[in-house]
Amino acid sequence: MATNLTHFELFGLKPVFELDRNALAARYRELQREFHPDKYASKSEREQLLAIQMAAQINEAHTVLRNPVQRAAYLLKLAGVEVPPEQTTADTEFLMQQMLLRERLEEVREQPNPAAALEELADEVDGLYRGEQRQFAETYAAGKFSEAEDSLRKQQFLVKLQSQVEELEADLFGD
Amino acid sequence: MALLQISEPGQSPDPHQRKYAVGIDLGTTNSLVATVRSGSAEAIAVEDGSVILPSAVHYSREGITVGAEARARAAADPYNTMLSIKRLMGRGVADVKSLGEQLPYHFSGNDGGMPTIETAAGPVNPVQVSAEILKKLAQRGRDALYGKAGGELDGAVITVPAYFDDAQRQATKDAAKLAGLKVLRLLNEPTAAAVAYGLDRGEEGVIAVYDLGGGTFDISILRLSRGVFEVMATGGDTALGGDDFDRIIAAWIAEQAGLGSDLDASTQRRLLDSACAAKEALASVERVEVRHGDWTGMFDRETMASLLDPLIDKTLRACKRALRDADIAVDEVQEVVLVGGSTRTLRVRERVEDYFGRAPHAEIDPDQVVAIGAALQADVLVGNKSDDDLLLLDVIPLSLGIETMGGLTEKLIARNTTIPVSKAQEFTTFKDGQTAMAIHVVQGERELVSDCRSLARFELRGIPAMVAGAAHIRVTFQVDADGLLSVTAMEKSSGVSADIVVKPSYGLEDKDIARMLQESYTHAAEDIALRALREAQIEAERALESLLVALRENGAELLEEHELSELEHAMEALRLAHNAGDAGEIRLRMEALNKLSEPFAARRMDASIKRAMRGHSLNEFDK
Repeated sequence: MATNLTHFELFGLKPVFELDRNALAARYRELQREFHPDKYASKSEREQLLAIQMAAQINEAHTVLRNPVQRAAYLLKLAGVEVPPEQTTADTEFLMQQMLLRERLEEVREQPNPAAALEELADEVDGLYRGEQRQFAETYAAGKFSEAEDSLRKQQFLVKLQSQVEELEADLFGD
Repeated sequence: MALLQISEPGQSPDPHQRKYAVGIDLGTTNSLVATVRSGSAEAIAVEDGSVILPSAVHYSREGITVGAEARARAAADPYNTMLSIKRLMGRGVADVKSLGEQLPYHFSGNDGGMPTIETAAGPVNPVQVSAEILKKLAQRGRDALYGKAGGELDGAVITVPAYFDDAQRQATKDAAKLAGLKVLRLLNEPTAAAVAYGLDRGEEGVIAVYDLGGGTFDISILRLSRGVFEVMATGGDTALGGDDFDRIIAAWIAEQAGLGSDLDASTQRRLLDSACAAKEALASVERVEVRHGDWTGMFDRETMASLLDPLIDKTLRACKRALRDADIAVDEVQEVVLVGGSTRTLRVRERVEDYFGRAPHAEIDPDQVVAIGAALQADVLVGNKSDDDLLLLDVIPLSLGIETMGGLTEKLIARNTTIPVSKAQEFTTFKDGQTAMAIHVVQGERELVSDCRSLARFELRGIPAMVAGAAHIRVTFQVDADGLLSVTAMEKSSGVSADIVVKPSYGLEDKDIARMLQESYTHAAEDIALRALREAQIEAERALESLLVALRENGAELLEEHELSELEHAMEALRLAHNAGDAGEIRLRMEALNKLSEPFAARRMDASIKRAMRGHSLNEFDK
């Protein structure tokens, strides 16, 4: 690590879940303009190495902050909550809903209008995902970290489902 | 401060002095060098006006020849004439079996996993052959920039295909080292082409670079956002190019002329020459007369289109795949750039325009456009245009991973991750008292290690002896802006850093490069020593100069008085070693100074982050 700043500090952002993507992108370019190794191409080896480390840290921070699930996990980590990847949520109602959604996904092909059925499903999953994001933002801001953690796990489920929807979409309509 | 006067006679310490840098397109068939003079970039021509250097090297007992002269000997002396050597860069002995059928060489043993080729002048490896081409190009650059006065180049940007893996990039950099060139950056060829067109000055958008050479086709999808270039996807066909156009036209002529399929080599050669001539003629006329022996016939654009379309279709299918990988619709592409001599063929331009729905850029000579872009970037990197806003961000073209149990790959860094990037991974020991371990790094997208390319084996040594599982070794994999990997390791509880021995799977270790350098000099020993000294001195000058600038900027603000005086002492010691001309002493003093200035460098980084943040309040980015 080239500096001890958190990803948020590095990007001059408040450590909250909701963030302005345009500000993030603008700040990313500003930082890379300052620290990219190309700006150090004719400097000493030592400075070149520092620039590589700095630029790598900026890229890592950007990747984490840009991705909502990674950003949420990072926020929890900052609050002292490590999220082990293999644990699941205890919310049985949520799990039941997930199973039903998955079944519907598997049956899309047999529907009279697969495109419409898939789109409807995709919209529903997106809606649930946005809801969990709001839930995370609120609970995290209120310092309710175990609730925020549960919401993160649900987001992980939903993201996986989203990618399965996309795969099927490519399978059905892509070439 | 007296420290400023470290320059040698004839060298100006003025930082605003213009520096000399070149851009090099090191191609499979042809290479060329370009530079920026009086504000514009141009390819460097030799006396006869030609800018292209055929990528051919001929070895004989009398010596080495490079370029057109070497290529002319290919037919008479195929085993000693190296053509298309780029295909072997960073490849292993095993790869040669698949590629070797196209290459007529006598492959013998190997150099650090690399194939070596027997020639009349002894065994050579692909890195050495490429170094000969680079030396010739560098010479052209020096002649053009310095004239008879002579002088050294301050640096070069060398282009590589976007899909080149770590081993291939490393091999290219090693060749440059062997040729005595300072590489400012390895630049992706499509990015260079986009830079040549000044597209970096434009607005946000997606750019497709369509590169059809003699033997290869590459498509790259780039995204530009306010001066930042990202490679989004690459694709292509390594066995499709203008040579295939000639072959298919030659076959048509043979058929029309009633020749059988069993033709001797010289007839085939003549047919290919007529085919190529006819193809080029159709760029300016509607139809052309073709003769072969007694036969005479008309060849027109329509016939050519029908012959070439199946081949062009293949390139467009690759474009479609690349767009899909990039998750981009074809109508989102805002600029199309043509690269490679085969894009001169009118039918190619028509089809590309038709597919992308817009006229492609072809104003710059498609053979020169990559070298010109590289020259523009070299000019920026060497510091001649310090106010330049251009920033080229690249991604890693293939995932990096390590071998785990059962020959499976565990991905550490996913493809298309922006570089530089670093990832840390923790390992532990399996046995009590274990002091060493091996890590196998591979590159590729497949699950099985055997389906990926092996890059290197890293052996960690000097791990403190502990009970099994007690040692926590944190291994950091770092990929720099050129896409090259390096590895560091540290045992966490003791803070002991492990020694790393790198065995590249298809490449050279530093000692190999030193040996090859030695072989390439007549008065080896003195020259090597002299060169090592000069390199150490240059590095010392750089370190001193940049530290001085740094101290002037914020030394007083960031350093305690005693720290400042310690630093000045160490700098003075380095300056003395520099002037005494002892390479070993310079290295020692340099290391000491580096260590001493480390806290200062870290504080400066923090300070510049704060400075870059000034003007932004923490709340400003909130919605």
